[in-house]
Amino acid sequence: MKPLILIVSYLWKDTCARWFEQPGSLLARCSVTALLVAVSTVILVSLHMLERSLRERLERFGLNTLLVREMVTSYDPELLPTGERVDRLAPLAGSGTTLRLRQLLPRAQSEWQTDLGILSYSSRAPGPLVELLANESPLICLSTSWPEQAQVRVSVNQQVGVAVVRRPSEALRPLVNEHLLLVPQGWLPEEERKGYVDTYVFLRDPEALPMAQIVEAVQTLYAKERRTPQIQSALSLIQAWEVLKERQRQWRGWLAIVLGFALALVFGSIAVLEFRQNLFVTALLRSFGVPALWLWARQWIENGLLANLAAIIAIGSVWGLHATLFGALGFPRTVIWPTGANPYFGVEVAMVLIWVNIGALLSSLPVAAGLRLPVGKTLN
Amino acid sequence: MSQSLICAGVWFRYHRKGAWILQDFSHNFAAGITLIQGASGCGKSTLLRLLAGYLTPGQGHVTIPSGGPPTQPSFQRGSLGYVFQQLNLLPLATVERNLELAGRLGGISSKEIGARTARWLQLLGLEPFARRLPTTLSGGQQQRAAIARALVKEPQVLLLDEPTSGLDDLNTEVIACALRDYAAGGRICVVSSHDHRLATLADETLDFNRFLPLEGHLRALV
Repeated sequence: MKPLILIVSYLWKDTCARWFEQPGSLLARCSVTALLVAVSTVILVSLHMLERSLRERLERFGLNTLLVREMVTSYDPELLPTGERVDRLAPLAGSGTTLRLRQLLPRAQSEWQTDLGILSYSSRAPGPLVELLANESPLICLSTSWPEQAQVRVSVNQQVGVAVVRRPSEALRPLVNEHLLLVPQGWLPEEERKGYVDTYVFLRDPEALPMAQIVEAVQTLYAKERRTPQIQSALSLIQAWEVLKERQRQWRGWLAIVLGFALALVFGSIAVLEFRQNLFVTALLRSFGVPALWLWARQWIENGLLANLAAIIAIGSVWGLHATLFGALGFPRTVIWPTGANPYFGVEVAMVLIWVNIGALLSSLPVAAGLRLPVGKTLN
Repeated sequence: MSQSLICAGVWFRYHRKGAWILQDFSHNFAAGITLIQGASGCGKSTLLRLLAGYLTPGQGHVTIPSGGPPTQPSFQRGSLGYVFQQLNLLPLATVERNLELAGRLGGISSKEIGARTARWLQLLGLEPFARRLPTTLSGGQQQRAAIARALVKEPQVLLLDEPTSGLDDLNTEVIACALRDYAAGGRICVVSSHDHRLATLADETLDFNRFLPLEGHLRALV
């Protein structure tokens, strides 16, 4: 054991002396690694955050939700004398819950000057809205942040009313970004006459046909009538999510190759130069009986140590600048997600570190090749 | 088991298409001091490296006293001492630490290393420089330290490549005394040198000029 300690101590001293004599080579290795790792981390964490936000949108929208929106004007030939249109999606009632609302064109203002979108509901057939309706007022303010049950004064043009704050139910969640005002039909008759967006929300029952078939049926129905409503379902989000996952995989692969090989080239070139400078000392150690494996391991450990140190500093710096960096890119400024997950402790960063280490290992291979040269030829 | 270092029909060249440095060389290096003399480039250093196992013969073989080739790590660590022409000491370790390192790798106990280090440093007049780095020593002191480093293992085979080149008479005499003392223990010592001051030291002398081509041989004679 003692010879090992002596050799390791000497090699460590030799390495430190080399770093001290040639700080440029140390800085070059560290800065190249830090730069590459920082860029890779930003790209991978961005993709991770995109995926997370897409997943959140998917969770908010719901896997079994279908949203159909179509513009209706006062000149619409299909308008019935009651001001309504034929319920085309009535057959879907057997496959799940439907909710039909009218999205009005003006926006309401809260007493705190907050802008609210307006949807009107049929007080004759409120459907899933029944549980949200309050005795105090027919106006409902759906909000994800305001205190529940609070009463908010709202105004639309000259009309004023008091709305009760409620949390959006599952059916209404796809419609609410932050705040939304629900009013009964007829509360804003003039605005409804000008036109509105006929909005269907459909929640599929678990036993009903698959969502893809329902979406296809709805699309076919409208296509036959040559109408082009906006049909929104989780399928497009799932597709986008899958595309993103695929892109993530591709980026991970390319970054791994670029990172691994770039580090191997930079570290390997410097290792070869330093090995040539220390050729005689290395040969002398080998003539003493120091195994070539130990000398190769020294190079590998040195490269690994520097690469990992620079990589950890780079990742830590990106983490430290997360709010500024990703806030500017439009992502949430918080590092920790509501689920408790931290992208800096995720598989992406682990992959970066794995490839940094593979690069460090590859960079030590030229030294291993150099150590195969017999001592007698080195000292020739 | 033979107590000599045997070269049997050794051929060697550095490159596949290069000229042969050694051609069918055979010799038994018995206990005592063998001096290899010859002009530069005649293959003296190459022969020492072949004997140490630092080079492998193209044909033929070298057999160490315990049998087997000299490339065995246990032989190189424990039973071989080698002094190169230059760069013999680790530059970042003190003279004492250089000796300790060689002894440790040779498998000697720490107590024994301490005693041997003190002895060889005293015999070679290096006691005052024990804790100094090699770079702060003169050429002669460095060469003596290198010999002390090789001798601290008290190896069975000691190979020295031009140990006195460029040294003054006093340093040469100190080294010669140390070698005489070492070889008296029935060990094998092979010295490659063209230093005539060492001629009286040898029990046997090998003239390597005979391996030079005729033209080179004549030039060496002139």
